[in-house]
Amino acid sequence: MTGRGWLAAALVLVVAGCTPGAKAPPRDPGKVVPATKRVSVPGRLYAVKSRTLYRFSGTHVTALTKDVRVLDPAVTLDGAELAYAQLTADGSTIMISSSEAFNPRAVSAGAGPEGPLWAFAPAFAPDGRSLAFLTDRGKRASGPPDLAVWRYDIVRQRTDRLTFAAQYTGGDSDPTFRPGADGQLLYTSYSYEGDPPLPAARLTWISLAPRRTVFISPPGDRTFQPAFSPDGRYLAFIRAGAGSDDLFVMPVPVTFTQDQQPYPTESATLLQPGVVAQPVWAPDGSALAFLMLAEGSFDLFMLPITMDGGVRATGGPVPLTHGSFFDADSRLAWSP
Amino acid sequence: MRGRRHGPERRRRAGGRQGRLSARWLLLAVPGLLLVLLAGAALYFAPVFSLIGQRENTLPSTGPSPAATPPPPLDASHRINILLLGSDNDQKFSPDAVLSQTMIVASLDPAHHQVVLLSLPRDLWVDIPGHGTAKIDAAYALGGPALARRTVEMRFKIPIHYYAWVGLNGLVRVIDRLGGVDVDVLHPVIDDAYPDDLGGDPYGVKRLHVAAGPQHLDGARALEYVRSRHGDLLSDFGRSLRQQQILVALQQRTATTNLLTDLPNMAKDLNGHVKTDLDVVRVAQLVYFFHDLRREDVRQAYLFSPLVHDARSSDGQEILLPNWPAISKRVHELFGDELLP
Repeated sequence: MTGRGWLAAALVLVVAGCTPGAKAPPRDPGKVVPATKRVSVPGRLYAVKSRTLYRFSGTHVTALTKDVRVLDPAVTLDGAELAYAQLTADGSTIMISSSEAFNPRAVSAGAGPEGPLWAFAPAFAPDGRSLAFLTDRGKRASGPPDLAVWRYDIVRQRTDRLTFAAQYTGGDSDPTFRPGADGQLLYTSYSYEGDPPLPAARLTWISLAPRRTVFISPPGDRTFQPAFSPDGRYLAFIRAGAGSDDLFVMPVPVTFTQDQQPYPTESATLLQPGVVAQPVWAPDGSALAFLMLAEGSFDLFMLPITMDGGVRATGGPVPLTHGSFFDADSRLAWSP
Repeated sequence: MRGRRHGPERRRRAGGRQGRLSARWLLLAVPGLLLVLLAGAALYFAPVFSLIGQRENTLPSTGPSPAATPPPPLDASHRINILLLGSDNDQKFSPDAVLSQTMIVASLDPAHHQVVLLSLPRDLWVDIPGHGTAKIDAAYALGGPALARRTVEMRFKIPIHYYAWVGLNGLVRVIDRLGGVDVDVLHPVIDDAYPDDLGGDPYGVKRLHVAAGPQHLDGARALEYVRSRHGDLLSDFGRSLRQQQILVALQQRTATTNLLTDLPNMAKDLNGHVKTDLDVVRVAQLVYFFHDLRREDVRQAYLFSPLVHDARSSDGQEILLPNWPAISKRVHELFGDELLP
């Protein structure tokens, strides 16, 4: 080794010794690690880690799937049926099963004339008779394979298309039905806004009969992952900021209207700052659950709230897990 | 007869002798221990020395023989500019003969504890010394990092002190070694013809979907996010946005982890997948610099309209024509006066 090499080794040692507060990078432990202080979860809260579906209920955590790769759980209002996306080698399919993930059956096509298909983000209608989901079905051979929102009628076993995404954006995301309203959905649509054009994400409201659509967030924002409160009066969503993805909440106008100026999201209330993803409401409206980045891992948190005179937190976020690396690209679901 | 010495005096004299012995041992032991420590450190960090000893400054036989801009002194008062190069087809061709689809100038300002990341679009139509006018990504294929560096210096007047070329596997391994990155995916990424070439088949393709929103990405997934180019209206500019996102996420990861103790393992992982002329002293300086850098200390910059505009070359290539006066002004804003004459 040269003299410079020795000097370098010495310098590296000194720098290593002087680097404050550094530690080994956090790594996925390969299992769900409950938080030190055990918290009882009311009802049944579903989350996905390493493409396996887990259920939190009381202080118990149960893996519901094995040997399949799943994401995006959804549950009917009564909690009797579960839907999720099951990944295959080159696509994915929407499955409906019992709340224990028993007897799953596919309700979306794994392939069509277009070739293999994607299907994600199922969301049950309030009456449980249909579900909305994302798919690239209907894409043209020469066009982009953007995802759009489709609806599956569980009773009639028919599928129809609800949205047409802006081209070359990757498509729409996060469809969710509004509880207590007939035929209303919210989803996230993507576009490129400004000069130079930058990716934008807008909360988009659809009335299904008659079919009308309106944006409820401004063009320059990145707002996404909407989640309705159980009574349909409030909406939780994520707004991206500089280096953060904060959780906001706002009331939703009672009736659908094309006039949404000023945009309702502009007067939304910040509920939880940080890097937050996939908010979901407790069935009784007493809490919100979400995934939040903490010490290099996306973990499951529960935020106690009250809806008296507007939504506000009644305490700080309570961790349910620690260092568990949950899949933040998968939705959460919560049933009684 | 000399009287026998007893009691405290004897003990004092014995103690003095022991003290001198201890001091002598100490004098020998401290350098010895230091030597053992250094030797241990040298052995431990041997893979790092080996990795960063891999220099490549090959130049074509024709054309000028550019000399690299000498690095600034280690006095924390000058910018250090590193040209980051990446290629997305090194699985198909020799890593020495690939285009550099990624060119980012990372400029570290130790005095103000800030970083500028400036992405140079691969289709930028520039003079490449000794090779006429071509897309800037050809410089690396024609003359390795030396010519890529020289091209950037000549056209942008940015002194390039070091370069680092990272192959596809290199990026995956760096990210995995750091335990992955946390990224807010800007929009859904969906690609029916994503190159699936890391598993042995250099021409394989697969279908890809990355959901939008904040999430944790391992190395392979992060590569998919930055590399996909179908289904993005912004095309190469979109890729530049995503590449810088991953760089910032990597910086954020290093800010909270003890990178130095993991350097030897990382160096072993990267052998053959990274080329750089950074030396160990500078790497140590950079690691220390990056450690407590905040997100807001990183300034991200791109060249887009009106700094460049779409055009077609005489041989039919889709290119970006530079508006050099506007680019010079922008470079001055970003780099201050530390530019080449």
